[in-house]
Amino acid sequence: MSVETHAHSNPHHEHPDVVGSRNRLGVILILVADIAMALSVLFVYFYLRQQNVNNMWLPAATSDNPAVVALSPKGTWYVTGLAALGLLTHFYGLKGVRAKNQTQLVLGGGLAALFSIGALIYQFIQISGAPFTTTSGAYASCYFLIAGLNTLHLVLTVFIAIGNWNRSRLGIYKADHWHVDIVNVWWVWMTVSSLLGAFALSFS
Amino acid sequence: MTNLQTPQTTKWWKKSDVKKTFLLWLILTPIIGYVGTTVQLRSIGAPASEVMASVKTLMGVFTWAASPVAALVAALALTSLSGKRHYGDNPPAEADHQISNSPRVASTWVVVSTLLCLFALITGLVVLQKDNESILDATAMNVNVTGQQWVWNFDYVESNGVRSADLYLPVDKPVVFHVTSVDVKHSFWIVQMGIKMDANPGYVTETAVTPNKIGVFDIRCAELCGLLHAYMQTKVHVLSQADYDAWLTAKSTIEGAA
Amino acid sequence: MTTVMDRPAASAGHTASRKPLIERLNIVTALVLGAVSSVVVWQLALKLLPQDADTAFFFNREDKIMLLALIAWFVGFMTGIGALIGPFRWLMGKDLNHDENMFLAGKEQGVKRYFRYTTDHKVVGIQYLVITIIIFLVGGILAMLIRTNLGHAQGGWIEPQTYNAIVGWHGIIMIVATIIMVTGPFGNFIMPIMIGARDMAFPRLNALSFWLIVAAVPPVFISFFTGGITTGWSAYNPLASQSALGMNGYIAFICIFAISTMVAGANITTTVVKMRAKGMTWNRTPIFIYGVVASVALALPAFPVFFLSQIMSGLDRAFATSFYNVAGGGSGWLYENLFWIMGHPEVYVILIPSVAALMEMAPVFTRRPLFSFNLAIMGIAGISGLSVLVWAHHMYISGWAPLLNAPFMLTTELISIPTGMLFLVLIGTLWRGRLWMTMPLMSIFALLWNFMIGGITGIYLSDVPADAFLHGSMYVTAHFHYTLMGAGLTGALASLVYWFPKMTGRMFDKTLSWVSFWLVQIGFNVAFMGMFMVGLAGQPRRVESYAEIFNKGNLVTTIGAYTIMAGMLVLLHGVISSWRSGVKAPMNPWQAKTLEWTVANPVPLENFETLPVITSDPYGYGKAQS
Repeated sequence: MSVETHAHSNPHHEHPDVVGSRNRLGVILILVADIAMALSVLFVYFYLRQQNVNNMWLPAATSDNPAVVALSPKGTWYVTGLAALGLLTHFYGLKGVRAKNQTQLVLGGGLAALFSIGALIYQFIQISGAPFTTTSGAYASCYFLIAGLNTLHLVLTVFIAIGNWNRSRLGIYKADHWHVDIVNVWWVWMTVSSLLGAFALSFS
Repeated sequence: MTNLQTPQTTKWWKKSDVKKTFLLWLILTPIIGYVGTTVQLRSIGAPASEVMASVKTLMGVFTWAASPVAALVAALALTSLSGKRHYGDNPPAEADHQISNSPRVASTWVVVSTLLCLFALITGLVVLQKDNESILDATAMNVNVTGQQWVWNFDYVESNGVRSADLYLPVDKPVVFHVTSVDVKHSFWIVQMGIKMDANPGYVTETAVTPNKIGVFDIRCAELCGLLHAYMQTKVHVLSQADYDAWLTAKSTIEGAA
Repeated sequence: MTTVMDRPAASAGHTASRKPLIERLNIVTALVLGAVSSVVVWQLALKLLPQDADTAFFFNREDKIMLLALIAWFVGFMTGIGALIGPFRWLMGKDLNHDENMFLAGKEQGVKRYFRYTTDHKVVGIQYLVITIIIFLVGGILAMLIRTNLGHAQGGWIEPQTYNAIVGWHGIIMIVATIIMVTGPFGNFIMPIMIGARDMAFPRLNALSFWLIVAAVPPVFISFFTGGITTGWSAYNPLASQSALGMNGYIAFICIFAISTMVAGANITTTVVKMRAKGMTWNRTPIFIYGVVASVALALPAFPVFFLSQIMSGLDRAFATSFYNVAGGGSGWLYENLFWIMGHPEVYVILIPSVAALMEMAPVFTRRPLFSFNLAIMGIAGISGLSVLVWAHHMYISGWAPLLNAPFMLTTELISIPTGMLFLVLIGTLWRGRLWMTMPLMSIFALLWNFMIGGITGIYLSDVPADAFLHGSMYVTAHFHYTLMGAGLTGALASLVYWFPKMTGRMFDKTLSWVSFWLVQIGFNVAFMGMFMVGLAGQPRRVESYAEIFNKGNLVTTIGAYTIMAGMLVLLHGVISSWRSGVKAPMNPWQAKTLEWTVANPVPLENFETLPVITSDPYGYGKAQS
C-alpha cells in the first residue's frame, strides 16, 4: 500500500510553518482541557449559588460570627483589565514581529510581562484582603476557588510572558515567530478565563 | 444487496450460509429469550408491590425484545465460525471476495436498532410516568426516612411522633417516603418493592410505593456509607390495616409514657 | 514556587561541569529528589503549621501536611526526572539542540533509556506496557482478596475498614489501568508507525505523560497505609471528606493522572491530525487510529472536571471549605455531577480503543476487507458524542433532578444505536471470512459475546424504573465488568498478542495464549454470571458480608474469579517467557497491511528511513471477484 519517497528525509529540518501549526494545535487542545475546567468552575459557582443549601451560600449573622457579605466584583474586573492590557501589548509586539520590527516585539513582550506580574500581585492582594475565610460558607469557598484558578493561570502567564520577552530580546524570533503567535493564543485565553471568573463573581 | 450476490446470480437468501444463519436465528431467539427471562426473573424473587411487578414485566419485555438481536449476532458468529477455518503459523489464503460495504444491510441494521431503542424508551417512559404520579397521591400516608451511619429511622408523619428502626406499613395503602440523611449519602432500598431513593444530607427526596403483600421484607442501604455499610439493613413489616393501627397505638403509648 | 524557580540556575551551573545535567537525571535522581523533598516538606509542615482551631473539622492540619508532602513528592520527582529542563531551557532562550534531542530520544543508551525521561515513542510504549502490567497485577491481587473474602457469607476474615479500602483501591487502580491499557502501550508504540510518522508530535510531552503516571503511583500506595480509600473508586463526598488520611493519596493520584491524560490526549490527537504520512487521507487511516483518537480526545474535556472535583475535595479536607459540606452550604449532588460528567465518557475512553483494535485485527485474521469502514467511524463518533450527554443516568435515584431522568434515559438508550454499528462492523467482517484461528481472532468472538451481555444489561440499567431496583446492587458491578473487562480487557489482551512481535521482536507463545484465553473467558463468564444473580436477588455492592441467600451466587463468582486468576498468571508467564526467549518474529508475521508491519524488528530509532506514501486503505484483502 505504500511507496517510498524522498520528501522530508530529515525530520529535524521541517519547515517552521509545519512545526508552528502542529504546536498551535497542541496548545489549543490543552486549552480545551483548561476550558473544560474553567467552565466546571462556573458550574460549581452557579450550582451552589442556586441550591443555597441550608441558606449557607452567604451565611447570616450568628452569635459567634457576623454575616458574610459578598465582595464587590470590582477587584476581579481590575485583574481582568490588567490581563486584557497584557493581551493588547502582546498583540502589539506580535504585530511588530510580523512587520519585522524587533524593537516593537521586545517592547510589547516586555510590557505584557509587566502587566502579567502586575495582575498577579494584584490578585494576591485581593485574596489576602478577603474579609472572610475558607470556612465562611459556599460563596467564600467559590470565591477562593475562582481566585485560586486565576492565580494559577497568572503564574503560568508570568512564566510564559517572561520567557517570550527574554527570547525576543535574544533575537530568537528573527527567523520565524510562531512561538509569539501561540503565546498570543494563551493571552487570549488568560483574558477570557479571567473574564469568566469576574463575570461569575458579579452575581453574588 | 448487490454486493452480497455471487457471480452465479444465486439469490442471496438461497445461499447455504444465509439459510444456516436464519435457521440458527429461529432456534436461538426463543432459547435466549426463555433462558434470559427465566434466569433473571427467578433470581429476582416474588414482588411485594405493583412497582416491583412492573419492573419484572419490564425486564421480561426487554429480554424478549433483545433476544432476536442477540440471537442474530450469535447466529452470524456461529455460522462464520463453522465456515472456513485455518490453523497454523502462516496466514490462510485470501477470502474469495472483497465485500467492504453493503448499504442495504447497514441501513436495515441502523433502522431496526433505532426502532428497538425507541421501543425500550417508550416502554420505560410509560412505567416511569406511573411511578412518578404515585408520589402526588393525596391519600397516601407519609413516612420520613432518615439514614445515619449505620441505621435507618422511620418517623410516621400522621402519628403523634412515633419513630421506629424497623419499618411498619399497612398493606394496600399508598405511602410516600421523604428520605434524608444526617451524615453521608445512603440509599434507601426496599428490595422486594423495587423502590430505591438516595438519602442525601441537606436534602429531602421523595419516593412512593403501595405494598400489596403482607409479610416481612428487606431494607438495605445501597450506597457505600462507610465502615458498616454492609450491616446497614433492616426489615419492613407489612401488616393488615388493623394490625398496623394496633402497632401504632401500642408504640405511641410507649413513646408517650417515656 | 521558589524551589521551582531555583532550578534553571542550578541546571545552568551544572551544564558547565563534565557531564551535562540532562544526562545525569534518571529514575534514581527522581526517586531520591521526590522522597527527600516530601520528607523535608513533611517535617517542616509538622513543625511550622499551627494547630487547628477548636472549631475546625477533623484532620484539617494532618490533611494539609499530607497533601503538602504529596505535592512536594510530585514536584521533586518530576524535577528529578528532568521534566522541567525543556520549559526552563525555553525560558532561558536556549532550546535543546539536535544532539540533546537525540540523547533524549534514547540514542545508543541500551536498556538505560527505559529509566530516563526518554522521548522515543517506542520506549514510552514499552514503559506503558510494563507499568500497565504491574498495575493490573496489583489490582488483580486486590480483586482476589475481595473475592476470597466474599467466598463465604460470614467468613469476612478481612476487617470491614480494610475491606472497604481494598474495594476502593481495586476500583480506582483498575480504572486507571484500563484507561491506559490500549492507548498507553499500543497508542504510543504502534500508532505513530501506523500513520507513518517518525515520532509523536511532542516527544517530550510523551515522556511527561508516562512519568506523571509513575509519579502518581506512590501516593495511591501510601494512601493504603494511611487509612485507605474506603469510599469505593467513586469517592463520593461527603463520605470522602470524613474518611481517613488515605483519601489525600487518592486526591493526589487522580490529579496527577488527570494531567497525564490531558497531556497524552493533546499529544496523540495532534500527532494523528498533523503527522499522517503523505496520501493517508481520512479514508485511508486505519480504524485503530480513530479509536485511539476518539478515546484520548474524549478524555481531554472529561478529566479536567474530575481534576477539579478532587481539588475541591482536597480543599474541603484541608481548608474546611464547603463545596460538598452540607453544613456550610455545599452539596453532595455537586460532586456526583462533576464525577459522572467525567465518569461516563471515561468508560468509553476505555472501551472504544479496545473495540477499534479488534476491528483492526478482524480483516487481518479473516483475510477479507473490513466491513463498512464508514459505519465503524459513525459508530465511534456517535458513541463519543453521546457519551458526554448521559452522565446523570448514574444519578437517577439520587433525587437531584427527577424531571431530568427522562431526557437522560433518552440519551443513554440512544447510545445503543452507534454501539450496534460497531457490532455490525465486527460481525460483518467475520462473515464469509477465512478464519485464521488465533487468540486475537477468538477474542473478537469473545468480545461479541461479552459485550452483548454487557450491552443488554446496560439497557435495563438505563431504564429508570428498572434502575430504581438495580442501582447500587451487584448487578451494576457485573454489568460494568462485562463491558470494561469482558469487552475492554479482552481487546487489550488480543492487542498484546497481536502487536507483541513488533514491540518485542518475538512471537507470543501460541499455546500459552490459548490456555490463558480460555481460562480467562470461561472464568470471567462464570464469575460475573454469578454476580448478576446475586444482584438480581438484592445484594448491594461494596458489602463485606451478606445475607445467606446470596451464598451460592457468591461462591460461584469466587470460583470464577480464581479461574480468571489462573488464566492471568498463565498470560503473565507467557509475556515473560516469550519476551525473554520466544521465537524471533519476522517483520510481518500476520501478513497485515498497515504500516507498522513494514518496518524492521527491532524498529529503528526514527522508524522510517524514508517516509512512506499511502495510495490505498490498509484493508485490501480478499480475492477480487471476476
